[in-house]
Amino acid sequence: MDATKLEFLRGTLDVLILKSCVWGPLHGYAITSFIREQSDDALLLEEGTLYPALWRLESKGLLQSDWGLSENNRKAKFYRLTAKGRRQLQQETTTWHTYAAAVSKVLAAEQPNRPLAEEIR
Amino acid sequence: MNLNRMWRRYDRLLGADVASDINQELRFHIEAKAESLMAQGWAEDEARKEAERQFGNLGALQGEGERIGNRIERRKRLREYWSDVLQDTRYGFRKLARSPGFASFAILTLALGIGLCSVIFAFLNGALAPLPAVPEPERLAIMQAPIPYPWFKTYQGDGYAAWKAAAFMSPAPFNVSFEGEGSERVTGILVSPEYFETLAVHPQLGRFFNTRSEREGSAPVVVVTERFWRTRLHSDPHAVGRRLRINGSVVPILGVCPRGFFGTGTGSLSVPDLFIPVTSNAAIAPELRDNVLHRNTQPAFWLLLRLKPGTTIATAEAQLDAETRHLQTRPQQKGKLAHLMPDGTVMPLPPEARAILYIFYGALVLAVLGLICANLGGLMLARGAARFKEIAIRLSIGANRFRLVRQLVTESAVLAILGGFAGLATAILIFRLLRRVQADSNPLLDVLISGPDFKVALFTFAISGLVAIGFGLIPAIVVTGLDTADVMKAGLFNGLRGHRRFGIRNLFVVGQVMAAMTLVLIAGFIVIGAQTGSKVDPGFDSAPISFFSVDPTRDGLTGPECAEALRRIPERLARLGGVESVSLADGPPVSKSTPDTKVSVPSIGDRSVAFQRVGPNFLTTVGAAILRGTDFEDRTLLMDDGSGKVLPIAINQVAATDLFQSEDPLGRRIQVGEQAYQVAAVVRYLPMTILGGHAVPVILAPLTVNDLQRSDIEGTTVVIRAYTPVGIAAINSELAAIDPRITIFHPQTMPEYLSEQDRLASMITASYTPIGVFGLILACLGLAGVTAQTVQRRQKEIGIRIALGARRMDALRLVMGEGIAMVLSGAVLGFLVASGLARILAAISAPMAQVIGPAASDPGLTLGIPSFFVLLAAIACYVPARHAASINPLVALREE
Repeated sequence: MDATKLEFLRGTLDVLILKSCVWGPLHGYAITSFIREQSDDALLLEEGTLYPALWRLESKGLLQSDWGLSENNRKAKFYRLTAKGRRQLQQETTTWHTYAAAVSKVLAAEQPNRPLAEEIR
Repeated sequence: MNLNRMWRRYDRLLGADVASDINQELRFHIEAKAESLMAQGWAEDEARKEAERQFGNLGALQGEGERIGNRIERRKRLREYWSDVLQDTRYGFRKLARSPGFASFAILTLALGIGLCSVIFAFLNGALAPLPAVPEPERLAIMQAPIPYPWFKTYQGDGYAAWKAAAFMSPAPFNVSFEGEGSERVTGILVSPEYFETLAVHPQLGRFFNTRSEREGSAPVVVVTERFWRTRLHSDPHAVGRRLRINGSVVPILGVCPRGFFGTGTGSLSVPDLFIPVTSNAAIAPELRDNVLHRNTQPAFWLLLRLKPGTTIATAEAQLDAETRHLQTRPQQKGKLAHLMPDGTVMPLPPEARAILYIFYGALVLAVLGLICANLGGLMLARGAARFKEIAIRLSIGANRFRLVRQLVTESAVLAILGGFAGLATAILIFRLLRRVQADSNPLLDVLISGPDFKVALFTFAISGLVAIGFGLIPAIVVTGLDTADVMKAGLFNGLRGHRRFGIRNLFVVGQVMAAMTLVLIAGFIVIGAQTGSKVDPGFDSAPISFFSVDPTRDGLTGPECAEALRRIPERLARLGGVESVSLADGPPVSKSTPDTKVSVPSIGDRSVAFQRVGPNFLTTVGAAILRGTDFEDRTLLMDDGSGKVLPIAINQVAATDLFQSEDPLGRRIQVGEQAYQVAAVVRYLPMTILGGHAVPVILAPLTVNDLQRSDIEGTTVVIRAYTPVGIAAINSELAAIDPRITIFHPQTMPEYLSEQDRLASMITASYTPIGVFGLILACLGLAGVTAQTVQRRQKEIGIRIALGARRMDALRLVMGEGIAMVLSGAVLGFLVASGLARILAAISAPMAQVIGPAASDPGLTLGIPSFFVLLAAIACYVPARHAASINPLVALREE
């Protein structure tokens, strides 16, 4: 599978962004790096999608932005998780785990003993 | 992580710049990306290009960012604003809770003042409310003067494209009896068959009139109001077809009106319960006699129009005007002939009358609100003074002045809103009381006092808001505009010293006295005008006199039968025990009190007088003293129409001087219309002037047989002079002996009648006295408060003066002098405003001129009210000023 083509499932981008900020404020570039590194380069976040997502999260009150200085002393905008964002992250994480487990379980299923059609009848 | 707050502060200073924020954010990302690429060995140019390429459409991204950023920014500002407001409100409540005395005084003041204004507004709102139970009332119009019925037919034919027309007569009394019960007088109205169709009203039961069934001369039918049906017919579901005996005829009920419907407003408070078609034969109502439907000379009908869409009052008026010019016998007459006015409101008013209403009540409301604002404004300033240190400290450590003003105004807004609720509650309470007193007595009154609706509530809160700004803003600006250094050093009072004489606080006092003075004077003019105007002294002893009315034409007697019966009534009643003398008149004694009849006196000119027709023995019966001449008595007139003869009359002293000045009135001729009269006597006879105060000139003319055959709405009054009361039963049996159909109504003794006439005056007194008293009390409280404050402010100064040998009287004079000076200047200003207002009102409205005119020009009143006011104000000053005289210099100087 070509890693660069791996697209974000709807809704998962937001939760990944929230997760990136969970240990402290990060700027946009750091968030892309974080997601790429954590996914072992499997998930490549496009800038054109990242920033609108960040701003949307800020306008929803899940993130809060502040100007600060980056590691190499440049002015950068840092995003911090708000209390509301933290709650949202917890909730989304639980949902995601349940969902992923369920999907994997179904996908890993083997052929049932009886043909399905019989059960319907 | 190295977050630098400086950026944020910097950003605040200049205000957020969303576009550059986004740009910088994206720029940073590209640089970081390029750097990381370079670290992987890319050339600088290539790396930069690659980084930008990965971004895709940078412009679109920037645009989207700005859109979202601006939204965030807007929301943030709004949130900050509201959280400030919330904070201020909470702070305001806390402050008020900490001074419950001030808060309750202020809320009480506001409740009374705002409640008063709301009641006034609710009445106006009720009077100008759309007509109940009539669809699209705004398209109804009515001609301001009555017209003959044939004219209505003409208007109906020609103008059909522009309107639907109907005609009706003024409400009149009908004698109605129910099965097996005695008769009652019920107000009814004669309407053309198109009436209900024009109003577009549909019956609740049965049917209404229409031009097909209701033809001229047909048997009478009646439509009753829902109120009549409910109260007199006990909501009988089978009421349609039941028969009522009306003025002697048996009339079936055709239909019942929808609830709340009482026809269209006629400008009077009497509203009909019965609707009878004008096409009924004349037996049912004397108004229909003499072929009135076909006579061009009897303007007895009101023209009601429902204008079609696209027709305005003005265009309809123009059409009617042109039509009327053809109809008039003297077509050369100049000026507008047809005057329409909107008829879609409970009280229809011509535009001029509406203007008067607005001016008068507008001025009243403004004066009340001005008074409250000045009063509470002064108090707020005093409270601001008490908090000067807090405010000064906040200002000097960099509080935003605008923010502080807003906080102080929020405090007054909290008060005003609480006051607004209390005011609304007051208004509702007043209306509830009124309704309890007036329950079901008159459907029109029911609408008028239906009480506050959402419009009134809206009005109440609008004026509360105005009041909040009025009494909160100026003190807030003054208090926050002080020199903080001065205040910190010496206290607010010294800070204000520079403008002590013409300071803002004194302005409040002067304004308050002015508004109170205006209120007290206007209320005083009206109350005292009404009181003195209705002073009841008929010029004779009223105790032995009683009277009742009969209306034999409405009992079903024909003209000649009626005249015969009326001739016999005095003769028969005079035989009853205790009765001294009996006479007839066309209304209760002294009831004709408006000079509404034009008479012409040869070689003197035209004059207006009150005109009353009386029967033989009238002067003896009421006991009116004949000052000159002899009683005029001509029994033959009761059988003769007197045409061609010169009839004898008596005039009162007022008429003697009005008509003939110093000349001898006896034997002089007077012409009234076609009839010639000759003065036979001058008598003491003074009609009560209900509102006005000027004595009215009266002519007493003999009743003729014509008058007896055709009675007006009041019927004919039988006046009895007796020293022992005469029982109704005795009278009834005597009348029954003359004709069993005759019923009596309105039996009253003269003293009862006089005191009832006084009721209008007492009603006016009851409604305007509270306004005046309210003004007076508020002004005095305000004055006392400000004077007390002055004493405290100048405590040190007074202490020094006393220590240096000033007498205590001097201290008193010092404080009183200032108070009195303010009171006097406010009183003069208020006097000017009130008399100017009285003059304007008198100029535009005749009834107002009658009420206010004499009072406003009476030197006893115009000087008396202000003097009384100033006296009270002086007392209000004196009480706290006395404290100044008792200042102990040692104590005063030790403070501070």
